[in-house]
Amino acid sequence: MAKAMWSGVISFGMVTIPVKLYSATQSRDISFNLLHATCGTRLQQKRWCPTDDVEVPWSETVRGYEYAKGEYVTLTDEDFESLPLPSKHTIELSAFVEESEIDPVFYEKSYFLEPDKKGEKPYALLLKALEKKHLTAIATITIRKKEQLCTIRPREGTIMLETLFYPDEVSAERGVDLGAVKVTDRELDMAFTLIELLRKPFDPEEYHDHYREALGELIEAKLEGKEVVRSPAPRDAKVIDLAEALKRSVAAAKKGGRKPARAAARPPARAQRRKAG
Amino acid sequence: MLRVEGHELPVSNLDKPLWPGRTKRELLIYLASVGRWMLPHLAGRPVFVTRWPNGISGKSFYQKVWDDRPAFVETVSIWSTDNGEARDYLLCANLATLLWLGQQAALELHVWFSSILVGRDGRSLGTRYGASEAALEKSRLNYPDFMVFDLDPYVYSGREAKGEEPELYRPAFRRARRLAHDLREIAGSLGLEVFVKTSGRTGLHLYLPIRRRFDFGEVRAMAETIGRHLRARHPRDVTLEWAVERRRGKIFFDYNQNVRGKSLAAAFSPRRHPLATVSMPLAWDELDDAYPTDFTLATVPDIMARRGDPWAGILDAKGDLEARLARAG
Repeated sequence: MAKAMWSGVISFGMVTIPVKLYSATQSRDISFNLLHATCGTRLQQKRWCPTDDVEVPWSETVRGYEYAKGEYVTLTDEDFESLPLPSKHTIELSAFVEESEIDPVFYEKSYFLEPDKKGEKPYALLLKALEKKHLTAIATITIRKKEQLCTIRPREGTIMLETLFYPDEVSAERGVDLGAVKVTDRELDMAFTLIELLRKPFDPEEYHDHYREALGELIEAKLEGKEVVRSPAPRDAKVIDLAEALKRSVAAAKKGGRKPARAAARPPARAQRRKAG
Repeated sequence: MLRVEGHELPVSNLDKPLWPGRTKRELLIYLASVGRWMLPHLAGRPVFVTRWPNGISGKSFYQKVWDDRPAFVETVSIWSTDNGEARDYLLCANLATLLWLGQQAALELHVWFSSILVGRDGRSLGTRYGASEAALEKSRLNYPDFMVFDLDPYVYSGREAKGEEPELYRPAFRRARRLAHDLREIAGSLGLEVFVKTSGRTGLHLYLPIRRRFDFGEVRAMAETIGRHLRARHPRDVTLEWAVERRRGKIFFDYNQNVRGKSLAAAFSPRRHPLATVSMPLAWDELDDAYPTDFTLATVPDIMARRGDPWAGILDAKGDLEARLARAG
C-alpha cells in the first residue's frame, strides 16, 4: 500500500485507536512539463524580485496576505507557530449522525483508516458499532497544519474518513430562481418515464474519462513514431529511489569491509569538534 | 548514606553547585524522579559518562571503565582492540547505579546504540562480546537497534566569540525542526518510524529503530546515503561537511555516530548548559512548540508525570529495513 500520509489516533471517550491515514482517491489527469521549444530543456521556475532585479532564495521570502489591492500584512514562521492546533495527531469524535443528514456539498476528500497492530481490536469494535447502528461520526483532524471537519463511516469492512468543508467554505446561498417557470403534469410524467428508463444500479466502472484516453493514445502514437524530445541530462542526477540507493550502499559496505564501523576508525582530522552529541 | 531499592549508596557534597544555581542534590532528585522513564532506554547498553566534579565551568573527563564500583553495578566484558583484551564496561541496570553516577557528578550519560539484550530480534546474534574482535563483530553489540542522526545547527546568532561553536538560536532551531519533519517523511517511505528528542544543547537527535539485520558498517553507509538524499532535497539547509567553517549557515546532518562504541547523550541525560537542560524525548506533535531550554532539571519531572514518555516502546516500533530493501528496484 502507498505511504501513510498521517498517523495518529481516533479518540472517543476512554478509547483511543492508533491508525494510519491513506488517500482513497487520486486524480488521473495526464500532466505536462513545460520545455524550451528550441532546445527541449525542462524549464525551471525562479522566484524573481522585479524591484531588486535578483533571484530570491527561500530564506529571504516571507508570506504576505493581500488585504487590499497591493497592500500586504506579513506573517512570520513564529506567527504560524503561535496558532493553536488542538487535534494534531488525534481524530476526535464529537457526535454521531445519520449519513443522510450530511449534504454531499460538504464532502471534500476521502481517506482509508488502517489500524496499527495494537489498534485492531478497538478498530473492529468501532467499525461494527457504526455498521450495526448505520451511523456516521463527526470528528476533527489536522492534516498539513489545517484543522478539518470530517466524517468517520464504515465502508465494506474499512473505516473511511471524509474531510468536510466548513460551512463558510460552501457557497450555499447562490441559488437559482425558477419562480416564474410553469411545469405541466404531462411534461412531468414524460420526465418520470425517461428517468424510469435510465434507472439502474450505479456502476462506476461504466464511466471513463474519454478525453484522457484520447490524449493517452495520442502520446502513445507520438512515441511509436519517435516524435520524442529528449531533455538534456541534468548534471547532478537526483536519487530517485532511495531504497535502491540504500541497497547499493549496504552492498558497498559489505564489499569494503567493516573497518569504518568501529569507533577506532577516527573521522578525518578536520573534525576538531569534540563529539558529545 | 542513601537507601535505593534495597541498596546502600554513600553520597557526599550534596550542596555542591554543578550548574549555576543547581546542586548535586538537585541532580540526584532529578535522576530519582525520571529514573522510571530513563532506565528502559539504558537497559543492556554499555554506558560512558562525562564527569564534571567541580561543576560545568570546571574541568571534565570521560569515563568508560571503573576499577572501584559497588556490588549493585552491573558490567559487561567487551573486547577492546586498542587494549588487545576485554574490558569491563558499565551497564546502568538499576536506579542505584544511576544515582551512583550522579553522586560522581557524571552529568552526561551516553549509551551505545546496540544492546546485549536479546529483544525480539537478537536471538541469532552472538553474545561473546569479550572473546575476540571477530566474536564481537558477530555479536548483538555490533548490530545497532537504531540508525541515528544528529541535527546540529551551524547557524550563528552573531553573539559567539571568535572560534566558538554556535549558541542556541531560535531561527536555527526552527530550521532543524523542519528538517526533522522532512526526514520523518523520508523514513516513512522506507517503513521506518522516527523518534525525536532535543539534544539538550542546540539541535535534535533522531532515532530510527530498525530490526537487527545490519551491522554498524552497513547502517552507517545507509545513514550517509540518507544524508546525501536530504542534502539533495535541501541544498541550502543541509551540510555533511567535516570542516566546521564549511558548515556555516547550515544544519550539520551528522550521520557519523552510527559506529560501534559511539553514542549521543542518552534520553533524559542532563547536559552541560547553564540552564541545566536535558535531552528530552518529544512526541512529533510537540516538536513545533518545543525549545531546548523548555526542558531542564526543574521542569522535566513534572512534564513526564503529566504526559509520560513519548519514546516508550521505541524498541517495539522497529522497522524491517531488510524486507523493505528486498522489495526495492
